Amino acid sequence: MKRKHSLLFLILAFIFAQIAWMGLLGLWIYWYVSNYLIFKQVGDKLSPQIALDSPNVFVFVGGIILIVMIAVAMFFIFRNLTVQMKLTRLYDNFIANVTHELKSPLSSIQLYLETLNVKDVSTERKKDFLALMMKDANRLNKLINSILEISRLEQKRIAHNYHVFDTNEVVHQLVENSAERFRISKSALTVEGSIQCKCVLDKDAMQIVFDNLTDNAIKYSRDPVQITVKISQHPKKVLIEFGDKGIGIPQKYHKKIFQKFNRIDNKDIPNVKGTGLGLYWVKEIVKLHGGKISAFSEGKEKGTNFTIELPIYRTSKRFYINSLLRRTAKKEKEMEKTDGE
Amino acid sequence: MESNSFKGSKILLVEDEETLAVGLEFNLADEGYIIDWAKDGKEALDKFNSKEYDLIILDIMLPYFNGYEIAEVVRGKSPQMPILMLTARKEAEDKIKGLELGADDYMTKPFHLEELLLRVKGMLKRKVWYKTSSMVEPVYQFGKNKINFENLSCSSESKHFVLTQREAMVLKYLVENKGRIVSRKELLENVWHISSEIETRTVDNFIARLRKYFEHDPNDPKYIKSIRGAGYCFED
Repeated sequence: MKRKHSLLFLILAFIFAQIAWMGLLGLWIYWYVSNYLIFKQVGDKLSPQIALDSPNVFVFVGGIILIVMIAVAMFFIFRNLTVQMKLTRLYDNFIANVTHELKSPLSSIQLYLETLNVKDVSTERKKDFLALMMKDANRLNKLINSILEISRLEQKRIAHNYHVFDTNEVVHQLVENSAERFRISKSALTVEGSIQCKCVLDKDAMQIVFDNLTDNAIKYSRDPVQITVKISQHPKKVLIEFGDKGIGIPQKYHKKIFQKFNRIDNKDIPNVKGTGLGLYWVKEIVKLHGGKISAFSEGKEKGTNFTIELPIYRTSKRFYINSLLRRTAKKEKEMEKTDGE
Repeated sequence: MESNSFKGSKILLVEDEETLAVGLEFNLADEGYIIDWAKDGKEALDKFNSKEYDLIILDIMLPYFNGYEIAEVVRGKSPQMPILMLTARKEAEDKIKGLELGADDYMTKPFHLEELLLRVKGMLKRKVWYKTSSMVEPVYQFGKNKINFENLSCSSESKHFVLTQREAMVLKYLVENKGRIVSRKELLENVWHISSEIETRTVDNFIARLRKYFEHDPNDPKYIKSIRGAGYCFED
């Protein structure tokens, strides 16, 4: 509420400032024109030698340029401020989500420790509790790692090991790894289509993309989860479509979900816990590969389709893809050197 | 541990974190309570609408409906249901929001098991005390005002209305301490069960509301008097 008011105040201040500038400009023009005519008439009568034009026009034009510059500068300041406000809001969201994500497993671990300390717990139950504690400890570890990954991603250090792969083979492998990691049966995560082309990617980074998409499909699907990965080849690009039969995403959020710290706040969508970073990473990693990602959903309960576009090796974005390979080769050489020493 | 006289009380546990819910269920069941676990807002409302409970333990960040929304629905239907909010949010404004919407108590994660169990017991005890004391003398009359502490319905000179649980509790505390000066701190501790570090303005807001309901001239109160620098005093 407070924020809404302050934004309204900002917009009003901005409009008011613009009106003030324009008013001043109008007054100025009016003053100049009326005085100029009087000066000219009087001046012509009194002494035709006095030249009034040149210095006045310079001041007049200079003044207008300055005012326009101030108006433009104000516009930029205003735009920056609104962006800053939006960022602060998203950051607050992030802190609230992370706090929640940290505290929940922590309180659960504390609860079990206190229970084991105070209560008489059977050996069997003890084992259950220890398993649950391990689960929470893993969750904490995962969360801390993902927060640390932010800075790596921001510095573009998350993907650095680019190699040429057979697209078909590598997609199958990435999907299999994700299925294994999230313990999904082979029938629930299937790959359709077969293509004959190569693409350049960092396998570890691309695994993060596939893991995140799989994790989301599980989180936002009513049981049982069903994921289909379709691969298709186009003249210059490879399309990897990652579709689930989950609860879907309303159209207005199709782009927003990729923004940093953004999480959908909608009654129809269960508020699954998270940091609001997963899809932002996905987008950034795909971008680093010279590709694009988009989301599409026909609506509520109609599933979601994520489409990843990757450039085909030696067919498109040659310069960029080659620079990625060169960078990796250079790094590998340096590594060999240090290993040799 | 002393024997629990509230054994068999039915508790609705609304918590979406499975690991935490399992631990809480074990401990509460060990105390003799009967636990029903709802893992999201929808399930919580379904269960609340279909069964009778003695207490609700409520998380705030939940799928579908958050804890605040659930508290509002519960309050609307059953003003006397004790609600214990259990959440990771620690900010004073979250606490105040929860309490204003009808939570009776608020605990932040991570919490201590024994403290939680004591609070649950305390809340069940208060519920019974409220019920029995209301049953003995459910209707209280002062001046032209009448309040039924059981169903919280009131009537003043010309209007009929229903108090919220919290308003009723503030009034009840003042009535029970008739003629004695009750400080804001005392009210916060006994009605809200929170430390007085939180703004005492919350208390003033409730007193202002009660005066609007019951006083002929809220600016010159006859029943709920302000004692400068000390608190409030109820006089019949």
